[in-house]
Amino acid sequence: MSVEQGVFALAGAVCVVGSVVAVAHRDPRIAGAALLLTLLALGALYATLAAPLVAALVLLVTLIAVVPLVVHLTVPAPRRHAADGGPAHAGAALLVAAALLGLALWAIAAGELPLNVSLRSTDGYDLGGLYALAAGRMGVAALTVGATVVAAVATMRSARRRP
Amino acid sequence: MTTVAYLYLGALLFAAGALGTVIRRSAAARLVGIELMFAGATLTFVAASAGFHELDGQVAALLIIGVAGAQGLVGYSLIATLARSE
Repeated sequence: MSVEQGVFALAGAVCVVGSVVAVAHRDPRIAGAALLLTLLALGALYATLAAPLVAALVLLVTLIAVVPLVVHLTVPAPRRHAADGGPAHAGAALLVAAALLGLALWAIAAGELPLNVSLRSTDGYDLGGLYALAAGRMGVAALTVGATVVAAVATMRSARRRP
Repeated sequence: MTTVAYLYLGALLFAAGALGTVIRRSAAARLVGIELMFAGATLTFVAASAGFHELDGQVAALLIIGVAGAQGLVGYSLIATLARSE
């Protein structure tokens, strides 16, 4: 087993278990910790995919945006929910998940997804190419996301100011 | 490792997030589910970027992470405001 396979096995297992615990556990502190663990394991996975900038940004966003959210997960939410159709919702969610899995299997069978591509980058990390894409073809999307982030920060500041 | 393993992992993360978003009723748990769905989509983009040796997926992943961070900030503000008004 190579190092890359070992990291993938470990981080993948942490991701799967952490995501299930994060959505299933009733204790918000445990769910929040599982979410943090999942995001940190994802950072390791991005690093194995030769995307260190993405890994660094994930860690940054986790520390700045997700950690405060997880801290506030411990605040009891208002319990004003009406009786829900849990089993129906669960069935719909399982159906969506099965459809996504079926789509992936179909794409593999149709040869649309490469099965034997090595992920080891031999070309180095092309920061200039990333900047050219973000400033050129994907410039509008980058501007929109920037505006979204600014709006979110403004929202957070105004929410803090309210008495 | 092959690209497909990463794609399966991304699909699993997305499915877990979707399941949590639909099933759980508290706002915080739904935010966690949405974060997981963002994470699954990001992993899929980065894996596809590595698989096809193109940088587009990484740029898309960076943009998604920005949106996920914004969503986390807004969710944090909402929950903090809710908690204060209780």
